[in-house]
Amino acid sequence: MELDLFQNLATGFGAAVSLKNLGFALIGCLLGTLIGVLPGIGPIPTIAMLLPITFGLDPLSSLIMLAGIYYGAQYGGSTTSILVNIPGEAASIVTCIDGHQMAKQGRAGPALAVAALGSFFAGCVGTVFIAAFGPPLAAIAQQFNSPDYFSLMVLGLVTAVVLAHGSVIKAVGMVLIGLLLGLVGTDVNSGLTRYTFGIGELWDGIDFIPLVIGMFGIVEIIRNLEQSTLPRTQFSARLRDLWPSRKDFQDSWRAVLRGTGLGSLLGILPGGGAVLAAFASYTLEKKVAKDPSRFGKGAIEGVAGPESANNAAAQTSFIPLLTLGLPSNAIMALMMGAMIIQGIQPGSAVMTKRPDLFWGMVASMWIGNLMLLVINLPLIGIWVRLLSVPYRLLYPAILLFCVIGIYSTNTNMAQLVLCAVFAVFGYILLRLGCEPAPLVLGFILGPLMEENLRRSLVISRGDPMVFLERPISATLLAMTVAVIALIVLPQFRKTREEAFQE
Amino acid sequence: MLRVKSPQDFGAGLVFLAIGIAGLYFGRELAFGTSARMGPGYFPTLLSILIIVIGLVLGLQGVTVEGPPIERVQLRPISFIIAAILIFGFLIDSVGLALTAVALTVFASYARHDVKPLESIVLGVGLALFTVLVFVYVLGQALPAWWGR
Repeated sequence: MELDLFQNLATGFGAAVSLKNLGFALIGCLLGTLIGVLPGIGPIPTIAMLLPITFGLDPLSSLIMLAGIYYGAQYGGSTTSILVNIPGEAASIVTCIDGHQMAKQGRAGPALAVAALGSFFAGCVGTVFIAAFGPPLAAIAQQFNSPDYFSLMVLGLVTAVVLAHGSVIKAVGMVLIGLLLGLVGTDVNSGLTRYTFGIGELWDGIDFIPLVIGMFGIVEIIRNLEQSTLPRTQFSARLRDLWPSRKDFQDSWRAVLRGTGLGSLLGILPGGGAVLAAFASYTLEKKVAKDPSRFGKGAIEGVAGPESANNAAAQTSFIPLLTLGLPSNAIMALMMGAMIIQGIQPGSAVMTKRPDLFWGMVASMWIGNLMLLVINLPLIGIWVRLLSVPYRLLYPAILLFCVIGIYSTNTNMAQLVLCAVFAVFGYILLRLGCEPAPLVLGFILGPLMEENLRRSLVISRGDPMVFLERPISATLLAMTVAVIALIVLPQFRKTREEAFQE
Repeated sequence: MLRVKSPQDFGAGLVFLAIGIAGLYFGRELAFGTSARMGPGYFPTLLSILIIVIGLVLGLQGVTVEGPPIERVQLRPISFIIAAILIFGFLIDSVGLALTAVALTVFASYARHDVKPLESIVLGVGLALFTVLVFVYVLGQALPAWWGR
């Protein structure tokens, strides 16, 4: 086992250290940092925009680049949170609280350094986590049958809904609508078309890219434009004494450890991921602190904990996707889309059939984290200067990249109409308090869920008890019930609301 | 007398209800099949019914529990951005990426109130050159660059 781990990692580094793959890791990290720094564009639309470009690449290079964007954004997001009190990225919202206070007190340098070093440490641990827990989980997954997969998806979607912020019942509705949208197109079993309204472009189903870009990228632009004051930035703090003092280290190393542990665990959970990890870590740090009143006034633990947690979670959220084929959040759904486009069905088979792909990705994450440390600390001045680009010049560019991304996947006007429709749909739903992320999860899982339900019921001749008779499936469903029970418990509800309130 | 206490919940309930009913209505000709042999209409019907249930629960919640109002919708940003997307679709095949990029940029800039036409045109030309260079020449995407295909 121990030996395997090293051998596997050696395979991975062998695959990831080629000049080409290093180049793509660097491009991914740079892009990730860039969009992490820029408010108004997050990793979801960026990855969706870049998907068409990855068609021509080999699978490993494209996954390395896309993964780099995701965890690169976690680094970049912290920079703007600390310096200008604008979270470049949702996972960095909590970093604003104490990070910006530190910057106001002239301690921006140590805050940035602790955020970057904590992130690097967490990224390393997260990578080891994937290497250690990936193979055993994949081994379990190989025992899975259709009923087990169906129950796994139910558990995944329910957990995603409970852990996401906002109203649970609305999130359930969004998942269901996503599942229904995922069924549009030709039914593989009967050959009949469903919900295509006679539109030929819909026969192959609704395309993933216009949907995601419409609901995330375009809606985000519209919302930013509605604010009377556009995201504007004024950077005044000076960056002296970048290196943290001895006391800073003493204050923050425990928070980094706790954040890393918490983030690694929460990343694995469906619906977890970087945002939840950062919020949870901040709450935890406040709870364990001797003097909680320091929080909100520039406590270094309030930066170290969440920043480590969001990066650890960004790494470990790859685990369910790579081992079970289950995306745990909207970004992983996009990664799943990228793999399917490349002809790879995510799941336990990836590890046995394409070990170079799995381990290459794991190795590239460690390399990427090292690159990010270099990109972020010495080059911080350059990233900050980017912030002075006003949003009125930025959004036409973002919009243009979005539509080019859509058009180059499928040079067809219908794709742009679809994007416009989903932008309006997403905008209306957001106004009614419905977040789009659960819909995307449902959308990507729709066809898989139907197929596994069908197969399960064929095996059992239509008896739904099959889901309770198989031990794996029964266990997964019991866990689902436990998760639902949690949300009903008043104690948990209170903590959940508090965690998202901060 | 019923009063809407939480407009967001009530509105979301209506939207879900409409989607669920549409799901049933447009899927009415798909064979339901039996559990052992699921027809193409089995899963969609199941989902539509669940969506309707959610819609009803939210609607009920909307008239019983107090909730936040719906923020005012501003028509200007959304209509100009959506129009810019569609204009891109109309133009790209006939006039190519370069001119389309300029048109999209200028149009999108009207999504804001204080438009500076000259600035948008300069930005548009810059973006046109950048995207043609990057997407057409460097990345080799299948886009017409200078004129239609």
